[in-house]
This record gives sequence, C-alpha cells and structure tokens, in this order.
Amino acid sequence: MNTRLLAVALAPLLAFGLLVGYLVHGSSVGAQQQVSLNEMSQNPNQWVMPAGDFANLRHSDLNQITTDNAKNMHVAWMMSTGATRGHEGQPLVVGDTMYFESAYPNHVYAIALSDYHIKWEFTPTQDSFATSVACCDLVNRGVGYGNGMIIADALDGMVYALDSETGKVDWKYKEANPELGQTLTSAPLVIPEKNRVIVGVSGGEYGVRGYVTGLDLHNGKEVWRAYSEGPDSDILIGSDFHGPKNQGTATWQGEQWKVGGGTTWGWYSYDPKLDLFYYGTGNPGTWNPSQRPGQNKWSMTIFARHPDSGQAVWAFQMTPHDEWDYDGINEMILADIKVHDQQVPALVHFDRNGFAFELNRETGKLLLANKFDPSVNWAYDYNVEAGKPNMNPEYATRAGHNTKGICPASIGSKDQQPASFDPQTGYFIVPTNHWCEDYQPFAVKYKAGFPFVGAIVKMYRGPGNYGGALIAWDPNSGKIVWSDHEHFPCWSGVVTTNGGVAFYGTMDGWFKAVNTKDGSLLFKQKMPSGMIGAPIAYSYNGKEYVAILSGVGGWAGIGLAAGLTNPTAGLGAVGAASDLGKYTTLGGDLVVFTID
Amino acid sequence: MWGSAAVTPPPAPAAATPLRVCADPDYMPYSNRAGEGFENKIAQVIGRDLGRPVVYVWKSTRGEDGFTEVVHQYVNRGRCDLLVDVPYSVPDLDTTDPYYISSYVFIYKRGVGLDGITSLDSPKLQHVKIGYEADTPVEIGLKLRTLIIGAKPFMTADEEDASPAAIVDAVQSGAINVGLTWDPAVGYFIGQHPDLTAVVIPNARSQGSPEQYTFPMSMAARDGNTSLVTQLNRVLVQDRSKIDAILTSYHITYFKPNGNG
Repeated sequence: MNTRLLAVALAPLLAFGLLVGYLVHGSSVGAQQQVSLNEMSQNPNQWVMPAGDFANLRHSDLNQITTDNAKNMHVAWMMSTGATRGHEGQPLVVGDTMYFESAYPNHVYAIALSDYHIKWEFTPTQDSFATSVACCDLVNRGVGYGNGMIIADALDGMVYALDSETGKVDWKYKEANPELGQTLTSAPLVIPEKNRVIVGVSGGEYGVRGYVTGLDLHNGKEVWRAYSEGPDSDILIGSDFHGPKNQGTATWQGEQWKVGGGTTWGWYSYDPKLDLFYYGTGNPGTWNPSQRPGQNKWSMTIFARHPDSGQAVWAFQMTPHDEWDYDGINEMILADIKVHDQQVPALVHFDRNGFAFELNRETGKLLLANKFDPSVNWAYDYNVEAGKPNMNPEYATRAGHNTKGICPASIGSKDQQPASFDPQTGYFIVPTNHWCEDYQPFAVKYKAGFPFVGAIVKMYRGPGNYGGALIAWDPNSGKIVWSDHEHFPCWSGVVTTNGGVAFYGTMDGWFKAVNTKDGSLLFKQKMPSGMIGAPIAYSYNGKEYVAILSGVGGWAGIGLAAGLTNPTAGLGAVGAASDLGKYTTLGGDLVVFTID
Repeated sequence: MWGSAAVTPPPAPAAATPLRVCADPDYMPYSNRAGEGFENKIAQVIGRDLGRPVVYVWKSTRGEDGFTEVVHQYVNRGRCDLLVDVPYSVPDLDTTDPYYISSYVFIYKRGVGLDGITSLDSPKLQHVKIGYEADTPVEIGLKLRTLIIGAKPFMTADEEDASPAAIVDAVQSGAINVGLTWDPAVGYFIGQHPDLTAVVIPNARSQGSPEQYTFPMSMAARDGNTSLVTQLNRVLVQDRSKIDAILTSYHITYFKPNGNG
C-alpha cells in the first residue's frame, strides 16, 4: 500500500521523467519516439514488441510474400548469435535497427539494417550458478523496447535497460535469485504509456513462491510485486476483484502456500483500453500432488492486473490441484472475435493441459473450453458454467502409483511456443505438442537424515506416432480446422501475414511457410539448427522480410542441448526426442528470408 | 544414561514443562547422547527461548520403518514433543516453516580431473566409480541415467552402527571417485578432509522426470499441535543468527528460505 501512495505522489515527477526521456532519446530514433509504443506497433514495417503488439497477435499486415510467390523465398542475410543453447525468442525491429538476444550467456545485439554492421553488443557478467538451476535448458525469449531503451533479461535474474543507440546500461534490477532456484528466461512486457516494465520469474521447481514485478521504466525501481499465492494483500487482490477472496491461503493446507510455486515465465499481453495486462502462473510448488492437498490457488491461473498498481481484477484457475505439471504460463492472445456467434472482447489461451480457453477479457468469464488435441484424456471435458474440468480418475496421479498413458505429457499439448491470430481467416494458428506419458510420483519420505520425494516420468509420442502439429483453430466453434503433423513437438512460434501465409520452424530444422487457409506447404528451407524461437515479419526499404532465430534446445530438445547421449531411450523428454540428433545439431543463428 | 535425561540445567523457571525432543542416541552429525550433534545444539537454542528445559527421548530413526515408528509410536503418541530436523511437509506431522534449505551433493577430490561435475548429466560421471546413499533421490537420478550399474550403495540410514562418514572415507581412500549424498549428513566429516569438495546436485528435469535434490527442512510436532508449531515459528525467526552459526559450524551448505511469507 505504501508503494501505491508513493506512486501517486510521484506521478507528476514520472510524467516529467518520461518527457525528459523522450527529449533525450528523441533525436536518435527520430519521430517514432513521439508516438506511443502501441501506435508504433501498428506500423507493419517494424516489430517493436516480442509478440509484435500488446495483444500478442503475432500477425503482420505485410503482404508482399503471398501464397503464390512464397515458393520463391530465399535467405537474405544471416548472422551467428555466438551462443549454442536454446533460442526461444525473436528479434525486434525498431526504426532502422534490429535487436535480439541469444540464449545464455545472453548476448544482446543491435544490428544496422542498412549494412548489417553490429552497432553495439552487450553481454552481461553473470552468476554462472544460474546455469545449474535452470530447469529446461538455458533459454531466452527475447528483449523488449520502450523509451529508447532495450530491456533485456539475463538468466541469473538481472534485468538490464540498455540505451538503444549505444548499448550503455541505463539501469539494472535484480528480479530473480538463482540461490533460491529462480532464473529469468521470459521476455519483459514494456508499457511506456504506463512507465512500466513487467517481469516474471522462472524456476518453479524449488518450492518458492512465484511473483510478478512492476518496475518503473524510467529508473528500474520496483513499484509493486504481486505473488501468486498467499494473503490477498500479497497477491494484490483489490476491492474490485471479481471472485472469491482469500483463495491464496484457503485452498492450501496449513501454510504450504509459502512454498506455493506458480512462477510467471511466459508471455505477457496488455489491453490499453481496459488497462489490464494478462499472464499465466505455473505449477504449484512441489511436484508431488499428495504433498499439497487443495486447489492450490492461484497456481495454474490466468491473471488480469492493472500495470500501475499490480492490482488483480480477475483470476481464473485452469487446472485445480495440478497433478501433471501443466504450467499455465502460455500466452494470452487478445482478439475481438465471435465465440458461439457472439462478438466478444476475448482472451484466447491454449493451455499446457490441452484445453483452449476463451474468456471475456474484461470480466474473466469463461465462454468456451475445448480440447485442441483430441488425445487429451486427463479430463473428459471442461464444465464451462462451473469453470472446472470434468476429471477422468483413470489418469489422476498419486504417490506410489504408476499412472500410464496420460495425455498430454508434462510438456503439455502446447508449451510456451506462441500461437498467432490471423484476422483474415479468423483462425488461430497454433504450434502444438503431441506426447503422452507415464507418471509415478513417490511419497515424501524421510529415511533417518535423508529427505526423498520425486516422480518418474516416461514420455513418448502420442496416438498416431507423431510428436506435434501445427493446427488452425476456429475460435467461434472451438474446433480444429486443419492440422499439419510433425515428427517432433512443434516448439517454434508462428507469425501470420496478410499475404495469407503462416511461418514457423521445426525442431528438426525446417523453416516452413504454409497457407493459413488450409495448411498446405508453400516453402521450406533446411536451417543451421532446429527452431524453438518465433518468427517475425518486418520491412526495410520497401521490402518484406521474415526473420527467425535458429538454435534448438528447450525442454523437448534438452537431450541434444545438454549433450545427453545416454542409452536410456524411452525415459522422459530425452527418450521421446532421442532421434533429434539424426536431424540437427546445436548452434544459434539469426536467419532472415525475403523474396525478389 | 538410559531413557530420558536432561542435558543442560534449564535456564527457565523450575516449573516450566520440559521440551521432550526425540533424537537418535548415536547418529553424528545429527545427534548423540553427549549432545554433540547439530540437532542437539539447535534443540538447546529452541528450548532456551521457549523457556522449557530440553529433555531427550532417545530413539533411533534408523532401520526399516525407523522414522515411521518414531512418528507414530513416539511423536503422535505424545511420548516426545519435537523432531528437530525433518523435511518440510513430511506426512503425518505438523511441520514448522522451513528454517534451512540444503541439497544432495557430489563429493569428490579437487584437482584430479573431476572438477566441473556440477550435475548428474555431467559426461565425466560416465567414467568414474560412483557411490551413493541408497533409497534416496540420487538413487533414482542414477537409475534414470543407467549410472546405477556398478555404483556402490551406502546404507547409512539403515543400520544403527553405520555412519554417513563411510561415503566420505570411501572417496578419500579412492574406493569410489564420486559420492552422492545429503550435504547435512556429511559436511561435518568433509571438513576434516581439505582436498575434498562438496558440489550441489541441482534439481533437474533433463530426463523428463522431475528430480528434486534440494529440500526445505523444518522442525515437526505432533499432527495437530498447532500451538507448539506457532511458537516454534516465532522462535525460529528470533534465533535465526544462532541457528545459522550452528549450521555453519557443522559445515552444512544451506540457504535460508526466502522469507517472502
């Protein structure tokens, strides 16, 4: 509450600071600084936010590359990132400069689009301990931009604000502490209009409480921090919150909420009109469900909060009492669409648990929740009225019991790889996974001096023996329109364009362009490495380009990334993707396509 | 001295109810009858601040179902009030807030080509003699990677005359190259061997299965004894620096719960 008072007291100063920021940086980036970031994102020549816009549509209005000519695409330019681990991010294009960040050790580059020279490069000095606690490869999901600054997260928990012209550090802030098992892998949400940088934490595996932090964009000072569990005052549940109170403690046994998990490492979106930002929280603190009775709110939850104060307006828990590690962190796409033939301001979210959730993003009311992979079996279906899954007890997990054939596997029907909304067809183009698993948790034991908890998970390709698919989703009917199967999980993001084309990459190293209407393949190119990053579209000197970071890794590619050559094929992610090494190898590169 | 025995003169009023602590009579570095273990030292601090004299109920937690027996036949039957060192949220007891977090570790000699082993996925583990504490998460981690074949199990917790020092001695003598065990069990012994190092085994997801090697540790009271747990939580905060000093003096590598609650 003190921070709120402070914010009110400082508001005039902040406005002044913003103005100074514009003046200082205005000369360098030109007239674009005079307009809001939201307005800048409407210019299809640029790509000024990780997801292209606040709504996370990942759609470009560019239309030079079309379904007719995509077959003539070719590589325009390339650049090594100097890092070898998983590249889960995407470049930004602001004015005449491209910015991107590599996997650990998190090199940040500014590249002049005129002649491709490196304007500046920044590599943070990092606490290497972070590499030993990062759960699922040493990934990074890209930088943000605002007020002439590039905001870059480093694995060891530091947030850096870099002058976009020089790379000089304007400020830094410590968001996560590797000593507590926390790391930082997500892209920051920068809202210059609100003078905010919003950052989340990774690493829910150590039983610490997840949180999201609102920083002052101007100076990097913490303004508020909102926890995923605990008393409503810690969660920043305000008086106008739609929903029951005190759930952050009441849905836990005793004080287990203190190690409640619910980390916040996904993509963030923002609705300027409602002044709400949206994100999802991860799995509850310990893997072993027997250890934490209750619904465990607000883990596995979609939150809507105000960026000024962090106050939550609504929250919706998708997987009560998670038994499978279905983190709820996937992106929230804000689209004004028809659901059941009713026009709504929607939030659409394809969750790890295999259900597509469509809500009214103003009220948080659930409108539709359908499976986006027919193999999903942990729940029969979702009770939209009650906002709860109808669970299938056959696929529940419990200590000491090996539950077989759970779909999806813990990597989910979709992980962080972001989908795109194509306004032309009205479809969401969604990269998905298709793995199932056997899951055997152990009870917490204590054998005289030695604590013991854990689970054995065995993952394998789902029914039909494919590993993933690119699908088109009709949000009105809540049905799959078309589906392109892939051998491995489809772990790269997607961008759609007004040329009628959807672009994505595969883990085995194929960059692909498909027709958004029917999924038919238009173009493919074998790449230096497999792809788990997201493509973007921009134009320079009147020419359309599509750029993607190549560099396999991430959870599904961890076996290759960590050099795991163990013959125990069949166990976990390494087993299911054990033949990845036949198709691709490690290495980070930026690859940019165009057409003549 | 058999059965219950007061170890130090109580600083509290004579009428104060004794704090009955269940402890192993001969299990260093945890506890022994001479009061030399870190559980003994911590119990003294807690007893002093609660104003209750510490009285030990000696009972080994080792052997098959040893700990289960202590929980059901001792703590939950009211024969003792307190266990000093158990995993947070262990079933059938009321645990306090975690007061330290420690990890399973690799123990190996420095400077003999083993430096750089920092996770179970380190390639160097393919070519060394491994020892591990049996029936713990490291055993599962070794199984997941087929490193279990040829590895030597140690049974510290199964036999009342065994010592966690055995795995440290085996590394020192070269019988094994790398030992995997719980840091608080061995820090005390490693301190006597300056050429040995203990490196934290990070939690992992690299094989698909969730592998937890880091555990928050708590004190525990009888299931439902919330008033004692509440008092203990208060005292654990007050005595933070004293507890830190004890853990450090037993060479336990730990970090503090982040206290964001």
